Amino acid sequence: MEEKFKEIAARYCSLEASEITNDMSLRSDLGLSSLDTMTLLGDLEDEFDVDFEFTDDDQRVAGINTVGDAIELLREYVD
Amino acid sequence: MDKTIYTLWKRCENSYHDLPAVRWLEKKDVKELTYGQLADKTAAIRKGFAAEGFSHKQISLIGTSSVEWITAYMSVVSSSNTAVPLDAALPLADLIDLVSRCDSEGVFLDAKFAAAVPAIKQGCPKVRKIWMLSGETPEGTESVDELINAGKDTAENEPPKEDDICMIVYTSGTTGKSKGVMLTQSNLYCNVEAIVYDKDPGLVFLSVLPVHHAFCLSMDWLNGFWMGSVICINDSLLHMIRNMSIFNPDVMLMVPLMLETIYKRVKALGAGVPLEMLRAKVFGTKLSMIFTGGAHLDEFYIGEFKKLGIDIYEGYGMSECAPVITSNMIGDSKPGSIGRPLPNVEMKFENGEILVRGTSVMKGYYNMEAETAETLKDGWLHTGDKGYMDEDGFVFINGRVKNLIILSNGENISPEEIETKLALNELISEIIITGEDNLLTARIYPEQEAVEGKTEEEIRAALQAVLDGYNKDQPTYKQLSRLVVRKYPFLKNSSRKIIRHEVLRDEPQA
Repeated sequence: MEEKFKEIAARYCSLEASEITNDMSLRSDLGLSSLDTMTLLGDLEDEFDVDFEFTDDDQRVAGINTVGDAIELLREYVD
Repeated sequence: MDKTIYTLWKRCENSYHDLPAVRWLEKKDVKELTYGQLADKTAAIRKGFAAEGFSHKQISLIGTSSVEWITAYMSVVSSSNTAVPLDAALPLADLIDLVSRCDSEGVFLDAKFAAAVPAIKQGCPKVRKIWMLSGETPEGTESVDELINAGKDTAENEPPKEDDICMIVYTSGTTGKSKGVMLTQSNLYCNVEAIVYDKDPGLVFLSVLPVHHAFCLSMDWLNGFWMGSVICINDSLLHMIRNMSIFNPDVMLMVPLMLETIYKRVKALGAGVPLEMLRAKVFGTKLSMIFTGGAHLDEFYIGEFKKLGIDIYEGYGMSECAPVITSNMIGDSKPGSIGRPLPNVEMKFENGEILVRGTSVMKGYYNMEAETAETLKDGWLHTGDKGYMDEDGFVFINGRVKNLIILSNGENISPEEIETKLALNELISEIIITGEDNLLTARIYPEQEAVEGKTEEEIRAALQAVLDGYNKDQPTYKQLSRLVVRKYPFLKNSSRKIIRHEVLRDEPQA
């Protein structure tokens, strides 16, 4: 799952999936804007067939800072 | 014929009665309402307003884009009442303050914000009715069906006049308080009229901007309705790209941030894929026009999207002008410019600042005479933006007079508004908010007595805790992402005011 996540995240940044580590910040290391993060979450829904139940300005989205945070969120829904 | 939203809406009802007006998703199904169905519903709600004594009253709307929200909005703006669309992402205390400051007597509330009911009741004594747009009706609220029921034997009130206030839009204020821009019925009508670009009904729009913004309301909704278009609702930014292929739009309005995200997607898919296929995969098969505004778009994107067969038209506006002032148009555009002034706009320049006069310029700020007098002088709106017009009549922006920070999602941040809030904290002696790379930075000179004896790390941690407390309640775009702890006070001018344009230079990293 982590690998797949990193492949999807790599679409939005200039890094290769293999270069992305869990402690990297989505904003400052991957260079994702707030909307990139939202759209990435939308991609995860499609790829993993899950439905996140939060809305655009939900504090949960604001709380996702690192690659690890996003993976952890995804794990909650996939497992 | 009067230039009011009422007459605009009547004309849509008569001309496009059986055509689809709105599409949206319910689970995975696409639902639809025709112009006739939507007009019947809005007329029924207007009768409800008459029965409940709502004439020339302010009615707030709190919620995100939905068919229920837009039905309520069209009901208010086609009546003699005033719609106050609010940013549902604001902290509850700010929402209550705005509902109360605009003297709202009614509130349409999205089910997601049902928990706000007691606070609205307590903080806004003028509010007589809270109508839930969907879902349950907590104590002290009613459903929209109940409002319709109340009006079923009542006649509608007189239709609005051109000079009636149709909408109050809240915008960032530089004095620490947001300002309510009062737009009349004819302000909005004339802005929409000036930008009609398609004579045949049936264009498909996908509306992705926040629905409380004037740009979205005027140019997605009212303009789309005027032209007999189908407007599709994007349920969440998470699904913007997916919804582009579901609804297959011809036209979209976007802020630069959205174009930047979509471009990343195009590039990721791009290598080796034929352009036509790439275009269909990301944008659907029909998208040919994107109107953008709210912040400046790098010209680079115009060329890149052009390769995919999509024309981007950049425009410029502000809520105070209902909102569009200039726009590049089909067959009449110059990349890098913000287009020509609309036909109903007169423009001149004073010390480089853009001044605007015309039928879309607001009546003033609600209950803020001093701020109104400062912005509107002899009918000329002082935009706060610097620019010039080239020899072909295209306008270019090259700076700002006021201190607003404009992010690429089009949100305007007033640094003073945040500074005023945080300056009250005992740890903060001086604070300046700046914007770099689309993020906000708090630059703080700590109160020396309060931090005496503490290490640098401790001071930083204490200040970060202050910022965390502030961020907790703020929408993402207003959050402070970076902290610079200053060792020295800010440079000041002779009247002891901080010289804002020096703050990055004298202690960039501190």
